[in-house]
Amino acid sequence: MAESPVIDADLAGPVSPPRDNGEIVFEAPWERRVFGLTVALCRSTQCDWESFRQRLIRRIAEDQARPYWESWAAALEDLLADTAMLAPAELDARHGAFLARPHGHDHHH
Amino acid sequence: MSHVVDELAVRVEAVESLLVEKDLVDPGVIDDVIEHYQHSVGPLNGAKVVARAWTDSPYRERLLADGTSAVAELGFGGPEGQLIIAVENTPSVHNVVVCTLCSCYPWPVLGLPPRWYKSPEYRSRMVAEPRKVLSEMGLELPDEVRVRVWDSSAEARYMVLPERPAGTEGMDAEALARLVTRDAMIGVGRVLPVDAARDG
Repeated sequence: MAESPVIDADLAGPVSPPRDNGEIVFEAPWERRVFGLTVALCRSTQCDWESFRQRLIRRIAEDQARPYWESWAAALEDLLADTAMLAPAELDARHGAFLARPHGHDHHH
Repeated sequence: MSHVVDELAVRVEAVESLLVEKDLVDPGVIDDVIEHYQHSVGPLNGAKVVARAWTDSPYRERLLADGTSAVAELGFGGPEGQLIIAVENTPSVHNVVVCTLCSCYPWPVLGLPPRWYKSPEYRSRMVAEPRKVLSEMGLELPDEVRVRVWDSSAEARYMVLPERPAGTEGMDAEALARLVTRDAMIGVGRVLPVDAARDG
């Protein structure tokens, strides 16, 4: 195992915030955002968690070496395309437009 | 940051901007979800559940019979909290939790899963050779203890109810909760030694 999940000393203190797992769940802001986006979408009437989960399982199975949050993002795109919420072509166009923005623009997150 | 990851970050931004424009998702809800799972929910919730079960026998029975309702009694649950099942360690049985297909995990009581829980190594090896993986993670179990591996899914998100350690007879639930680690509730670690509660 690459990491050593030993007991988290910081959990021993009574005032430790519950998030103190001693490990980072999100390494990049986009990972946090795609998580929040997916959960928010599944809380709405637009989709349900199981629909997303089945696609996540497929994406993880197709490439075990791919980083987890990349599989997650791919699964979300699958869900959006399959449910016609967001057509791949429309997403590609917006993605291209955002990539073409000049450097140094303000990311809003 | 690599080029690929940077592109992904922009792609996620593009997804969000389109979904917001189409009124399919509320950015405020996204912020709330992130805030909730980063700052409000974590293993301390599960530790309180375990400590309550150790000190309140009827509660322990309710927890083992219907985990979702029992954790809701302590205020833990919500939209992502369906179907939590508690499995109890005994002197002869040790339980450990995995999600072989993805990353199902009892968010309301443990927060979001650690990175290793989602790794292909943990997901495949914990089923094939649990005793060996546990040993590598620092948990040596006597041969006579049976290891039971629980595969989580959306229908059943497991948490382990560890054994109450000896020497804790005089301790109340608050002090006991300080002994309960996330890893003990996944089943890959032990609860902390008794003096950890006093030091805390």
